[in-house]
Amino acid sequence: MSKAREVTIVVDGREIVASEGQMLHDAAREGDVEIPVFCYDPKLGDPVGACRMCLVEVEGIPKLQTSCSTPVRDGMVVHTRTEQVKEAQNAVVEFLLVNHPLDCPVCDKGGECPLQDISYGWGPGKSRFTDDKRHFQKPIELSPLVAIDRERCILCYRCVRFSQEISEDAQLQLLERGDRTFVGTFDDRPYVAPFHGNITDICPVGALTNYTYRFRARPWDIEQAGSVCTLCPSQCNVSFTVRDEKVKRVLARDNAEVDDGWLCDRGRYGFEMFEAPERIAGPRLRGGAAASWPEAIETAAAGLRAAGGKVAAIVGDASNEEAFMVQQLVREALGSPHVDSRPSRGASREQLLRLAQPNLSAKVSDIDEAAAILVLGTDPLHSSPILDLRIRKAIRRNGAKLAVATERPTALDGGAEAIARYAPGEATHFLSELAAALGGTENVATPLADTLREATGGGADTEPAKVVVIWGERLARDDATDALLDLASALNLTALDGSGLLEIPDFANARGLREAGCLPDAGPGLSEVTIGKPTEEIRAALESGELTGLILFGVDPIRDFPDTPAWETAITAADFVVSFSMHENATTAKADVVLPLETHAEKDGTVTHPDGRLQRVRPSAGRPDAVRPNWHVLSELSAALGHETGIDSQPTAFAALTAAVPFYAGITDADIGGRGLRWQDHAEATAVPSPEAGAPSERFAREEPNAAGASGTTPDRRVASEEGAPASGPSLALGTYRDLWAGPITELNPPLKFLSPQQRLEISLADADRLGLQSGDTVRVSQNGSAIEATVSVKERIAEGTCFLAEAVADGNANALLNGGPVRVEIAKVEAGA
Amino acid sequence: MADPRETRVLLAHAEDPALRTLDGYKRLAGGYAPLEKAYREMEQDEVLKELEDSGLRGRGGAGFSMGKKASFLPRGEMAKYLCCNADESEPGAFKDRELMQHNPHQLIEGIAIAALAADAGHAFIFIRGEYAAQADILDAAVAEAYEAGYLGTNILGTHRDLELVVHRGAGAYICGEETALLDALEGKRGNPRLKPPFPAVQGLYGGPTLVNNVETLSNAPHIVRNGAEWFRQFGTEQSPGTKVVSVSGGVRRPGNYEVELGIPTRELIFGLAGGPEPGHEVKAFYPGGSSSPVLTPAELDLPYSFEAMAEAGSMLGSGSIIVADDRVSIPHMALRTARFYHHESCGKCTPCREGTNWTVKMLERVVRGEATPMDLDIISSVQSNIMGHCLCVLGDSMAMPVSAMVSKFRAEFEEVMASAGAPLDVETALAAVQGPAETLGAST
Repeated sequence: MSKAREVTIVVDGREIVASEGQMLHDAAREGDVEIPVFCYDPKLGDPVGACRMCLVEVEGIPKLQTSCSTPVRDGMVVHTRTEQVKEAQNAVVEFLLVNHPLDCPVCDKGGECPLQDISYGWGPGKSRFTDDKRHFQKPIELSPLVAIDRERCILCYRCVRFSQEISEDAQLQLLERGDRTFVGTFDDRPYVAPFHGNITDICPVGALTNYTYRFRARPWDIEQAGSVCTLCPSQCNVSFTVRDEKVKRVLARDNAEVDDGWLCDRGRYGFEMFEAPERIAGPRLRGGAAASWPEAIETAAAGLRAAGGKVAAIVGDASNEEAFMVQQLVREALGSPHVDSRPSRGASREQLLRLAQPNLSAKVSDIDEAAAILVLGTDPLHSSPILDLRIRKAIRRNGAKLAVATERPTALDGGAEAIARYAPGEATHFLSELAAALGGTENVATPLADTLREATGGGADTEPAKVVVIWGERLARDDATDALLDLASALNLTALDGSGLLEIPDFANARGLREAGCLPDAGPGLSEVTIGKPTEEIRAALESGELTGLILFGVDPIRDFPDTPAWETAITAADFVVSFSMHENATTAKADVVLPLETHAEKDGTVTHPDGRLQRVRPSAGRPDAVRPNWHVLSELSAALGHETGIDSQPTAFAALTAAVPFYAGITDADIGGRGLRWQDHAEATAVPSPEAGAPSERFAREEPNAAGASGTTPDRRVASEEGAPASGPSLALGTYRDLWAGPITELNPPLKFLSPQQRLEISLADADRLGLQSGDTVRVSQNGSAIEATVSVKERIAEGTCFLAEAVADGNANALLNGGPVRVEIAKVEAGA
Repeated sequence: MADPRETRVLLAHAEDPALRTLDGYKRLAGGYAPLEKAYREMEQDEVLKELEDSGLRGRGGAGFSMGKKASFLPRGEMAKYLCCNADESEPGAFKDRELMQHNPHQLIEGIAIAALAADAGHAFIFIRGEYAAQADILDAAVAEAYEAGYLGTNILGTHRDLELVVHRGAGAYICGEETALLDALEGKRGNPRLKPPFPAVQGLYGGPTLVNNVETLSNAPHIVRNGAEWFRQFGTEQSPGTKVVSVSGGVRRPGNYEVELGIPTRELIFGLAGGPEPGHEVKAFYPGGSSSPVLTPAELDLPYSFEAMAEAGSMLGSGSIIVADDRVSIPHMALRTARFYHHESCGKCTPCREGTNWTVKMLERVVRGEATPMDLDIISSVQSNIMGHCLCVLGDSMAMPVSAMVSKFRAEFEEVMASAGAPLDVETALAAVQGPAETLGAST
C-alpha cells in the first residue's frame, strides 16, 4: 500500500498533521483533541455513524458532521467545542440516557464506563425525561459466559459488528426496530463462538458483562497488569485485572503487531485454573508426599546424578529463560545432549536456519497487506485463534485472496478462493505438487497455484504483491519442511519485504524454546552442538533402557504427544522422572519428583512469538506460598548438580540468554517494552547463522511420497483433492487435529468446561455409506492393537478415504492411535447395548 | 374522468383498463416509441442531456435534479444498477400506487430509458409489500416487456442489456429511504447507510446505483418523446413539469390530481379536491406528506412548487396534501404523526430512536391532560435536538411537523392540556384524524 499523503487540518485552533483519507476522529485524537464517540472504533471496520455523539462543526458545511465518518481534507477547519456542537453533544447524551437505567451503583461497568465518562464530560448534567423507561428481563444469559442487560444497552452496534464483521460468526443480531431494538441471537440461542468474550471489552456500557467477573471487584479495588497470554502461539497481549493478588479478569491489550486488540475466549476465561484444585502448590515426591524445597531439590539432583548422563529433557510450556536454563542443565550439568521441545519429529537445524532467515519470515501485520495468503497444514482457529481473525480481516478489508491446503476442512474455507485437501501423510507430496503447479505443471494443486498467481500477478503499474504463507508445525512432523522451503522459493518469498513464512507451532513459545537451544541438534542461537536424541527417540531410548532419567518441563506426553501407550511405557520404564508442572496430570502421577511451575500470570520472563517478536511476560499475580520462580528452582537444581549458573534473578537469566543467543544480543528489557521487539528488526539480526548453500531438495534425500494416498472429491467446486483410487479396504487414513477446546485448559477452568469436546470420528459421506455408518453412531476406531471409542460425525467436506479424530480430548484421545508415521485405522460400529 | 383543471401527462388514459397491457399502452399512449428512439437513435449522453435539460426534479421527496443524479454515476465498465423506489409509504402519499396500477408500462419504459442514461445493466423495482395488487400488475407487465424485447439481452437488437426484477418489500417505512432500500434489497436489515458514499458512487452490492422514484421515472418516456423544451413548458422555472398530487384528509373529493407545478395550492384543495365538507374550514394542511411542516389557511394561495413551499418553511416532498379541517385537534394530529415515526424509526441512530419515543410519551401526556406548559417547551427543544443530528431524514420527518404544530398552534395545545379534569380517551380522539382516503377504482 502506498503511503497516504500528509495533510494539515485545524481542530479547535490546533494544527494537526494527518494522512489524507484518515477519519477526522482519528486525526483529532492523534492531535490530542478528544471527540466523544460510542459506536466508532477503527478496529471494527468502517464507521456506521449510529450514535451521533461525535458531531462536529466543519467550516464550509452547514450541518454538523460525524467526525467518525468524515475523511480529512487538506486545510479543513474543525470546531469541536462551539455552542452548536455542545448543544448537539448535550442532546445526544440526553437521548442516550432516556432509556438507560442509570443503575451505575450496582453495575459492573461503573467506574470504567465510557457512557459515564462521556456523560460527565459532554452531557448536560441532568435529564428532562420524566416518563417511563423501557424494560427488559435482565440480566439474561447471552451465553454461558456473558450476561446481557438490555436495559443498559445504548444500541451502539459494536457487539453486533464484532460478530458480523470481525469474528464473522454472524450470531449476534439486532432484533425489532426503533427504541424496541435489542441485541440478541436467532431464536434466543446461546451465543457460543470462540471469540465472543471480546464483546464485553468493546461494550461501552454495562450491557454485556462476564459472568466470571460479575460483582467481583470495582475499578478502585483492582490493578491492571499488562502481560502476554502464553496459552497458544498467538501470544496475545493481555491485561490481567488483579484484586488482592489474584487474577479476576483478563482483558485484551491492543497490540496491532500481535493481536489487533482481540483475545480468544480461551485466553480470556482461562484464568481460574491458576487456583484450580489440581494446581500443584509445592514440591512433591513420588506418591504425592509434599516435600520441602531443599528436600525436593536434593532428591531430584540425586536421581538425576544417579542416571549418570543418561538423562533427557523435553520442554514445553516455558519462557525463553527457563528453556535456556533447562538445556544448560542437561547439557552442562548432566553432560547429556538429549533435549527437545517438539511433541514428535521436527525440522533439522539446517532447515530451521533456513526458516529463520529474516528475509524469509513474515510478521503478523504483514497479513494485513498481503495480496495472497496461503494456509498450509493448519487451522488457525484451533492452533492460533487470533490469526484466524487476522486472515478474515485481510480478506474483508484488503481483498486478500486466500488459498487453503490442509488435510481437514478449516474454519477459513468459507472465505477461501481455492481449497485443496491432501490425505494425512501426503503433505510433502502435495507441497511438491504445488511448487510444480506454480511452475506451470497441471496437477491437483493447479487451482491453488492459479489463485496465488492471479492474486500476485497484478499489472506492471501496481506495487509488487505480497504473499504470506501460514504453515503449521505439523508439516515438519510430516517431514515436509524441505518441500515447504522449495515452495517458498517457487513463490519467491525472500524477494519482497512483507512476503514470507509464518509458522503456527505446536507449543506456545516453540520459537523461543528452539532459539534458546532446546533442540537435539542445536544449542542456543541455533548453534552447532553434539547431536542428541529427538523426542521420539528419547521415548524409545527410555523404553529400551538406553536412557534412564527424564526431565519434563511444562509437558504432559501422556496426554499431548503421539503414541500414548508408548509414552506410558517409557515414563514407567524410566528410573527417574522429574516433572515440572503447573497442574496434576497423568505424567506427574508417575514422576519421582514434581516441581511446581508458575503460571503465565505469575512468572517473569520473555517469550518469542512465531514471527520472532520477543515479548515480556510480567509477574501480575501472587504465587501460592510454596511456588518459587522457575529460574530460581532451575538455578538451585543446577547448583545441586555441581554447576553454578550464576543466575540469581530474572535479569541475570535474561542476560545469560541474550549472551548465548547471538541474534538476541544487545536486546534489553526496555527494547522489548510493552509491545515487544522482533529480533529481526534489531541490530544483531545478521547474527543468525547462514545455512549451507544450495536448494534443500538438492541436498536432502526426499522420501518417496507415501503410496497409500486416500482420495475422493468433495462437492465444493473450489476444493481440489488428491487424485487416486478410493481406498478399497475397510481402513481409512487417519488425520488428527488439536481442537481449540481439547485439553486441560478447558477442563481446569470451570467456566469453560461446557466447551470440552467429545471425541468425534469425522468421515466422508461416501465412507459412511460404505461402512454403513451415520452421524451419532458409536464406533470403535482401532490401529495396531490400540483402540478408542468415538461418535460418528459424517461431514460433506471430508475427503473420501480419510477420517479425523481430535487429540488430547479427555475420553478417547486420538494420540493413543498415533505412532509418529502415517496411520490407517479400522472402524467398527459398536451396537447399542453391546 | 379527468377534471379539466388537471394537466394529464402521466395519468393520461388512466381510466382505460387497457392501458395496463402492452398493446393498450402502445395503442393509447404511443408507448415504447420513446424507448425505441432512445435505444436506436440516441447515445447515452444524449439521453442523459435530455433528462438534465428538462430540469425534472425527483418526485420522491428530496426534489433533487434527476438528470444530475444520473450524471454522478462513474463511467466505465462495471456493474451499475438502477433501483426504482416504489416503497411509497409516506402517510398521505398514494400517487405511485395509481401510476403503477394504471400504467405499469410507462414506468418500465422510464426505467429502461433511465438505465440507458445511467448505463445500468440491472434494474429493480422495490415495491412495498402492501402493494400486492400493483406488484402483480408490474410482474405481468415486466413479463410482457421481456417478451416484446424491451427488456433482457440485446434490447431491440442493440448491444444493450437490461434485467428488471420486481422485488416486494417486507413492510417498513424506512425502506423507502434510498440506502435502507439498498440494504433491504441486498437481504439485510433495512437500515440507512452513512452518506457519503452516495449510492451513485457505491450503492447496491457496492456498485454505482441510481435510485429514483416511480413518478420521476415515469416522466422519462415523455421527456424523450417530446424533448426537454416541451417538458419545461409545464410548471415553473425551478419546478418544471406536471406533478401527480395526492390530496386527502378533510376534503370532499380526495384523490390524485395531476397538475402543472406552480398552480395555487388553493386550486388543488378547493378546486380539484372540493374543499372541506360544507360548514367547515381548513385549519391546517401538510403540503408534502406527513413529514412536511404544516401550513395554515394564510398560506393557501402559495404556488404549489418546490421553491414556494421551501420558502414558506415547509416542503413539497412527495406532493401529498393532507388537509385538517376545523374538527381536527392539532395536538392529536401531532401525536398521531409522532406515533407513526416512532413506530417506523429503525433505531440505528440515537436522536431518532430516542427522540421519537420521548416525543410520543410527552404528546400522550399532553392529550391526556397530564402535561405542563414546560412540557411544550421540552417538546420543541427535543424536536430541535433531533433536527440535523440524525443519520437519515426520518427523525427530521417527525421533528419538522411536530415542531411546526407546536409553534403554530401552541394555544390549542395549552387548551387541551388545561382540560386535565377530564382526560380524553386517546384512541377515540385519534380516530377522528382519518388516514388517506381509498381512491382506487373498482377496477382493482
